[in-house]
Amino acid sequence: MASTRREVLRTGWKVGGACLAVAAGWTLFESLRPLSRGSKGAVLELGDPTNYPADTATFVTEGRLFVANAGGHLFALSPRCPHLGCRVPFCDSSGRFECPCHGSRFDLGGEWIQGPAPRGMDRYDLQLVEGVLVVDTSKLSAGPDRGAHDYLTPPKGPACQ
Amino acid sequence: MAEHTAEESAHRDALEPTTAFAPGGGLTSRIKRSNVWRSMFRHPTLDTPRGRALQSFSNFFLHLYPVKVPARVLRLRYSFRLGFIATVLFLILVVTGVYLMFFYTPAVGSAYGDMQHLRTSVGFGQLVRNVHRWSAHLMVLVVVLHLARTFFAGAYKKPREFNWVLGVTLLLLTLGLSFTGYLLPWDQLSYWAVTVGTNLVQYVPLLGSSLQNLLIGGDQIGQATLLRFYALHVAVLPSAVVLTLCVHIWRVRKDGFAVERPSTGAFEEEATAVPAPTAPATASSALYDGRTRVLGVVDRESITAEERTVEDTVFTWPHLLVRHVVVALGVAATVLALGVAFAAPLRGLANPNQTPEPAKAPWYFAGLQELLSHFDPLVAGILVPMGAVLVLVLLPYIDRNPSTVARERKVAIVIFSGLLALAVALTVVGTFFRGPGWHFIAPWTHWYVEL
Repeated sequence: MASTRREVLRTGWKVGGACLAVAAGWTLFESLRPLSRGSKGAVLELGDPTNYPADTATFVTEGRLFVANAGGHLFALSPRCPHLGCRVPFCDSSGRFECPCHGSRFDLGGEWIQGPAPRGMDRYDLQLVEGVLVVDTSKLSAGPDRGAHDYLTPPKGPACQ
Repeated sequence: MAEHTAEESAHRDALEPTTAFAPGGGLTSRIKRSNVWRSMFRHPTLDTPRGRALQSFSNFFLHLYPVKVPARVLRLRYSFRLGFIATVLFLILVVTGVYLMFFYTPAVGSAYGDMQHLRTSVGFGQLVRNVHRWSAHLMVLVVVLHLARTFFAGAYKKPREFNWVLGVTLLLLTLGLSFTGYLLPWDQLSYWAVTVGTNLVQYVPLLGSSLQNLLIGGDQIGQATLLRFYALHVAVLPSAVVLTLCVHIWRVRKDGFAVERPSTGAFEEEATAVPAPTAPATASSALYDGRTRVLGVVDRESITAEERTVEDTVFTWPHLLVRHVVVALGVAATVLALGVAFAAPLRGLANPNQTPEPAKAPWYFAGLQELLSHFDPLVAGILVPMGAVLVLVLLPYIDRNPSTVARERKVAIVIFSGLLALAVALTVVGTFFRGPGWHFIAPWTHWYVEL
């Protein structure tokens, strides 16, 4: 049965209204979406590797990151907890990273030990260039999965929390 | 024009505005008789049934109420006035919020300073901020209690399903309002509470990262976040609340009051029952000539609780309105007393490099934070809360049991009570029993609660 003029008009209104709603929604999303996402980060020279003794973690203020030496393996770790974004301080007495928000703990390599964090601490790209440590803070890779325990050592002492 | 009898004239004089405006030579009387006054207030105050009805019809604010309400609505235990209390708290929040806007700039460099300025250099600044804060906390609490009361009364059932959905929407908007306002002081408490809260969004499957970026306006909380939360807090969400609240209140009138039946103790719909539609008269009827004539259409929605015997109803003005004024004054006195007694906290300036211990979400999200410390974020942060909201929204459509009698709704009441008790327990544990590192701590040994 052929559609009546009224039915065609009604369908037209519905389709037109839906198109307008989608266009308005998309415009709103695009206008509110942050534009500069890839501009963050810089290449920083962190000096001689011997500045970072074994089994320690040093906070580099300039890059807002930790340089951790786990048994001779150096890592540039993001202090942002992969759970809910809290800053994870390093506990000197236990030799581990301990999140103050929900109690997640990580070893010196940033690997997950316990708590609700879904993975280990995220790592920045760290390279040794002509004897100098260089970190690129624009290159951040997700931390190791929960199962990894390559740098797990017994706690040095009592936990900070 | 036909002449009126003396009795008719007296009756008309008692009702009609032309003569009912009080005669007399006093200044007040003369003002009330003036055209200017009568252009604004079309009907005089008449202490007659028709006068009261006219007042309700002709006054915008009174028109929000029905002219008459069931007498049992006046009882405090009918609703504990929770919906009205929530509305009053919202009005207090609007008034105090507008006051605070005069002294606040949503900029990272100045927001915290504005808070200190408000505390030290603005007359009643700290008090108004305290009242604003306490009203916000109480509004969340009262809206939750209102929702629970509505559930236990079975008042979400037909024909009030959609109004229940609007109520759940208002609860979400209330939480959104409170959460967006939390960031504005830009202190350590607000910064990290919002950090924890907004990081939950990243666990939404597929869209998480984009949604989080959209919400906070970048990769981390900063100027864009503050401005977005400010716009949401002072414009978008309050507008949405006003709009939804208007429809919510309007639907209360349209759906009728859920009035308790003394015989059963149940809340039952008071709307007039609609008889089953009858077929048109048969062709043999002398009045039926094969065509249907519509004399008038009465929408079922228009037949509401107001259609009752005179003995069952009372005038809204003054009976209900006086009670509402008393409750409103009580609410205002309560938040004022709380504001005088307990100051809104202000920790140090927000520091993105140092998370305070413990970093707790606002108390109404503390249960969620507690859950997050036990389960995967996708489960505890997304699936559980979204599932809870979905179940709440769909509840009146899932629950097919028409009865509102408690003993006939045992399963629903037990399930709801259990979930409510669980939510309360998680909130209490997260708020009072957690310390640094989210370790269990007895609140009487150290107090880690800041509202």
